[in-house]
Amino acid sequence: MLIYSVFSVLSFRRPWTNTNMIEEKETVEAAKAAFDGEFEKFVDPGVNGDAAARLSELVALRVRHTGKKSALAESKKLIGKVAPEVRGEFGQLVQSVERSIVERLDAAEASLKAAVSEAKTEAERIDVTLPGRRIKRGTLHPITIVRRRIEEIFVSMGYSIEDDREIETDYYNFDALNIPEGHPARESQDTFYTTDGFALRSQTSTVQIRAMERRGVPIRIIAPGKVFRRDTPDMTHVPMFHQIEGLCVDKGITMAHLKGTVTEWLKRLFGEDTITRFRPSYFPFTEPSAEFDFSCFKCHGTGKLEGERCRPCKGSGWIELGGSGMVHPNVLKAVGVDPTVYSGFAFGFGLERMAALMYSIDDIRHLFDNDLRFLEQFR
Amino acid sequence: MDISLNWLKDLINIDLSAEATAEALTRVGLAVEGIERHGDDTVFDVDITSNRPDCLSHLGIARELGAALGESLDVFEPEPEIPMPPVLAHDIVRIDDPKRCYRFTARIIRGVKVGPSPKWLVDRLEAVGERSINNVADITNYVMLELGQPMHAFDLDKLAGGRIIVRPARAGEKMVTLDDVERSFDESMLLVCDAEKPAAIGGVIGGLESAITDSTVNVLLEVAYFRPDSVRTLARKLGVSTEASHRFERGVDIDNIVRASQRAANLICEVAGGQKGEFIDIYPTPIHRTEIECGDVSNAVARLTGMEVSESKAVSILDALGIESEDRNGLRVFCSPSWRYDISIEEDLVEEVARHTGYEKIKELLPPASGAGEFQAAEPQKASVRNCLIDMGYSEALSYSFIDTAWDDVFQPVPKLDRNEGVRSVTLRDSVIENAVRMRQTALPGLLDAVKLNNNHQIRDVRLFEIGKAFISEEPGELPTERELLCIVGSGGDLHADRVEPERTLDFFDLKGAVEGAFEAAGVEAAEFEAADLLHLRSGQSASILIAGNKVGALGRLSEEIAQKYKFRQPVFVGELDLTAVLAANRRTSSYTPIAKFPSVRRDVTFEVGRTPAVAAILRSARTSGEPLIEHVGLVTVFEGGSLSPGHRAVTIRVEYRSAERTLSEEEVEYSHSRLLARLDSELGLRPRK
Repeated sequence: MLIYSVFSVLSFRRPWTNTNMIEEKETVEAAKAAFDGEFEKFVDPGVNGDAAARLSELVALRVRHTGKKSALAESKKLIGKVAPEVRGEFGQLVQSVERSIVERLDAAEASLKAAVSEAKTEAERIDVTLPGRRIKRGTLHPITIVRRRIEEIFVSMGYSIEDDREIETDYYNFDALNIPEGHPARESQDTFYTTDGFALRSQTSTVQIRAMERRGVPIRIIAPGKVFRRDTPDMTHVPMFHQIEGLCVDKGITMAHLKGTVTEWLKRLFGEDTITRFRPSYFPFTEPSAEFDFSCFKCHGTGKLEGERCRPCKGSGWIELGGSGMVHPNVLKAVGVDPTVYSGFAFGFGLERMAALMYSIDDIRHLFDNDLRFLEQFR
Repeated sequence: MDISLNWLKDLINIDLSAEATAEALTRVGLAVEGIERHGDDTVFDVDITSNRPDCLSHLGIARELGAALGESLDVFEPEPEIPMPPVLAHDIVRIDDPKRCYRFTARIIRGVKVGPSPKWLVDRLEAVGERSINNVADITNYVMLELGQPMHAFDLDKLAGGRIIVRPARAGEKMVTLDDVERSFDESMLLVCDAEKPAAIGGVIGGLESAITDSTVNVLLEVAYFRPDSVRTLARKLGVSTEASHRFERGVDIDNIVRASQRAANLICEVAGGQKGEFIDIYPTPIHRTEIECGDVSNAVARLTGMEVSESKAVSILDALGIESEDRNGLRVFCSPSWRYDISIEEDLVEEVARHTGYEKIKELLPPASGAGEFQAAEPQKASVRNCLIDMGYSEALSYSFIDTAWDDVFQPVPKLDRNEGVRSVTLRDSVIENAVRMRQTALPGLLDAVKLNNNHQIRDVRLFEIGKAFISEEPGELPTERELLCIVGSGGDLHADRVEPERTLDFFDLKGAVEGAFEAAGVEAAEFEAADLLHLRSGQSASILIAGNKVGALGRLSEEIAQKYKFRQPVFVGELDLTAVLAANRRTSSYTPIAKFPSVRRDVTFEVGRTPAVAAILRSARTSGEPLIEHVGLVTVFEGGSLSPGHRAVTIRVEYRSAERTLSEEEVEYSHSRLLARLDSELGLRPRK
């Protein structure tokens, strides 16, 4: 309606030129006033309402007031029609009005666009504390975890990992290990036998023999593997468990190397302050033989933890771990190695005991139950 | 064994505290595992290794302590005595089997008065955990604990003929032993008999009938030596283990017999009255001591322990332990004492010197560097497989290698462990877990037990795998075959991290994906799957797994029958692979193909098919069409339901055409595509769905 009336006024005045531009100025003023009136509601950017709807309203407003058919466009056309001497002045007027309109439109549009974008961001806000999308990861068995750690230590110390058969002949399980027929260790009821007369290996020491037969000497190996003993399952016994056997044979190897090696890998596993203790003992396949203990990794050998008796070492400060010794000459002879030229050490210990110590497992039967409530604790 | 400190002090001078004494013992290999006060006495629980039966007595412990502390022993020394001449003695004691009974002494004590033991005796026995019986029996125990010599007192008047015959049992012979059990004997068993019947089991346990009772007046005291392995066999056969058999099995000091007999007789006379009578000593089989030639003990000690111990120091340690030596033509010869059966080579001497010098004096050295260490060849592959499976949500399980015979012929093992013709599983003679005597041919029962256990604990979403060996018998006399298996089980839903409810129920394809992942992780050729019926799997949801055309395992849904046995209330999917075969398969290889310069043209085509042909067959036919412009054929979707008739599937595949030389024209693609469709029609009867 307003546009129409402005238009009609302009048409009416066209045939005459004038220099005071009263009507032309009125036309421009009217265009400005019309815009001002309509733009009023966009002046305050804080006004509530749907920013997106207001933005499209604003776009329409821009078309109406700056488009080809707008009063402003008409005003521009008048520039050519006013007297040349005042054309400059009139032109400036029109331009200033246009600038004012466009600037305000641009500012309002920018602010509305920002509001629209903000609203969209707000609407799409997520709860970043929800769990990430991934399948629930499984866990390695604690025996595998402990085995890997120990294997890595020994490989870095120049040892090769070996394993071999789990069902063995008496020769490999006993004779070659200097446990002749009639020996108490052999006739003890520890060993499982198959109906065909084969033994389930009762120690991974069998791998010593197999490996020396295969690789000869010098040799440095670690043999982790399953072993079997006729123990009824209870908190500290299971009929199948894992041992790690170590063997080093070369010229000039002594018990000092045994002590040094055992101490070194225990330090790497439990920390630099670990110390070891060797006590005389007896194993048929070593002479001299020793059992080894290491200073408790929990209480660092003090036997006390936060004023209480330390659990892993039962308050003694020492943890008994395994057996060891210098390879018995009969074992070396069994694989054709001259014990007057070569000597070696061997040691062995149980992985279940190691895992029980490291993870404070009070009942080693858990290791074979496959209860997920147990397994999932070792991540 | 329980050792009384007061008792030790009777035998040797000890100035140390109880704790220091225990430490000294532990240091030389007699591990003291417990120290307990008992009245004014202290009792050590000493762990004695099986090679040291000589230490199963206070004398033995005192001897070690003496060597460690430099003190000499004050032990009972027998009066010289002349045993009864053999001619007469044989009327009282006869050994029919001198290969098993090397020596037998009998001493007659007349006029004893059996009754309670005096307090000192009761106290001593109780301190070391022995119960008092009567004064005569208590003395036999006391002397055994003191000198290590097992002995047995018979009521002489109850021995038929008043005599002893050591002989093998006769078929059908029986006797009630001291533990009130009637035992039957076979001819392999060595008995101590009277003129008519068994009176004791040699070296193991006495008979009840000839035992000392309150009415006993005359005693025959047996102190003998039986061969260790014969006592061991006998005790095992009869299922008894006694303080006596424990010592005889390991070896007692044959030269200590007279001392023990006289000591016991004196003490019996002291506490029960009576008079020592005849002493019979039949000794048909002497034991020769071992002699060890050792040119240079000091050098031997250095060679094995790295310790510097002088020759004289080494010799004096050995001497203190009773290992005497002499110089024979410039060579030192050591002689093992009668109580030590574990000293026979130079290394044994080194151990004696080393432990009495102290293992703590041995240095800690690392051996000189040698080559680099190495993992087992297959370990990186196995590590990858393990890691891949845990990433896919499977936890590693470990189950026993021996399984219940109830699972025989229920599961179909992997082909290499399933040779139907005359195949035998490996069986144990016996087990410690009821019926678990079968060495597994499959690891599935273990994993299914685990599913059951978890289900019982309200854990329904279970994904597990195990890597371990399985076994099968070979020809008689040959060691069984051992193969490593990878076994996998899944049941319940696809539980996601930090969620308590799964989004979706696991199915065949979850397990298949895990198996495919394992192959990829192992770096070997991709597995192929073909529908197959297997013993333990549900028909129609089971597949054989092949690699390079060879079956290496199977995968599928557990059969209804087995599921019912386990009382599973949800589907369980299982897979088992011959990991040994998988890891031996050809490694996957990669080679570079130049990246295409010209665009490709894609054509999707949908076929409506029934259960057959399998999608794999459709893809294979398309891929092997030989059309030169086909670059790739892939699966888009398989749709079931909707307007399709039941059992029908709409299979959409995508064919990608490309030339390395130019941009393809519409006509070229159309020509190739129609030829491909014609081939699919003629080979598989497939027509594109409109």
